Amino acid sequence: MVKFYSTEYSYDYGFSAVSLAYFLRYPNPYSRHVASTDTIDRHYDPETHRLTTTRLHVKRSRLPPAVLKLLPRSSLGANEDGSTQSFILEKSVIDVKEGWMETESRNLDWNNVLSVIERHSYKRPALASSGEEMDISNGVSLPKDEERTDVSVSVTLKSRIGEQIRKRRQRWGQQASATSVTGNGEIVPVEDEPVKQSWFSSWSSGAVRSAIESISLQRTEKSQPKAQKGMSVVLARLQKGGLQAVLEGMRNDRELAV
Amino acid sequence: MSASLAPECNEVKERYDTCFLKWYSEKYLRGTAKTDECEPLFREYKACIGKALKERGIDTMLEEARADNAENDKEYLKPSKGS
Repeated sequence: MVKFYSTEYSYDYGFSAVSLAYFLRYPNPYSRHVASTDTIDRHYDPETHRLTTTRLHVKRSRLPPAVLKLLPRSSLGANEDGSTQSFILEKSVIDVKEGWMETESRNLDWNNVLSVIERHSYKRPALASSGEEMDISNGVSLPKDEERTDVSVSVTLKSRIGEQIRKRRQRWGQQASATSVTGNGEIVPVEDEPVKQSWFSSWSSGAVRSAIESISLQRTEKSQPKAQKGMSVVLARLQKGGLQAVLEGMRNDRELAV
Repeated sequence: MSASLAPECNEVKERYDTCFLKWYSEKYLRGTAKTDECEPLFREYKACIGKALKERGIDTMLEEARADNAENDKEYLKPSKGS
């Protein structure tokens, strides 16, 4: 019960610029829904020259109507129109000596319905012509670099509905009078649990799981080219106007999103 | 710069991010970084964001996700390397 998506492409920019753009990629015109990005962990190992970073992104998202039809909204923590906040945990490791960056992003919130793991691998090609230093700010420039970076992407989608049922069943006895907090902060009794159980039971054979995975795969197929375009916009801004252009672009994208 | 999920951390985040971008471009990418020069600022930022995550109950979600994902990796993603 797992679906995969994978693709490979190259950026016509050096590894330095691409790795920097990766850290600066949100928000961009293709990802205006990214509300915030925080670095929650970072470690630099001077021995290996590897830099490990963990970031938390918050996205405003809307669940696909097709998923809303399949699952009770309450199980997804969504509002009536399906809008919800998504938390994405992203880990990246960069090895500047060897010229690669590996990244992994996971969704955290509707994780109990569907787990999405996205891995990117960026590589400096072994043989490529050397480009020019890129000036990115007064007195700050990126080192000379090849003008290409190879990328391979894989996305793993896995529905976790069955696990949720098991966990719910285990919890049943303990939570006879459970309450739940709505989006407005009101506390309401959870009255739909028994309904949900029978609902889940009738569907647990995998039909829902497989439907959710298929819908999510379609979404991934649409969103991946957008992510790539978003990076390209950031890279073009970096080349044209340096860090200042990237930061100005971000500011505009954020204003347009509100 | 991108915003912090906690508005009260925006100011220290901005100072840290600015420091990091400079260090990353000038030292790290050139292979001349001896230490992470922005670590003192990062500690300040981390204290702020750590508190904010706790207040919003996101810290537990993060821990659960990390534990859960480790377990999940073992089960479903045996030796599958992204590269």
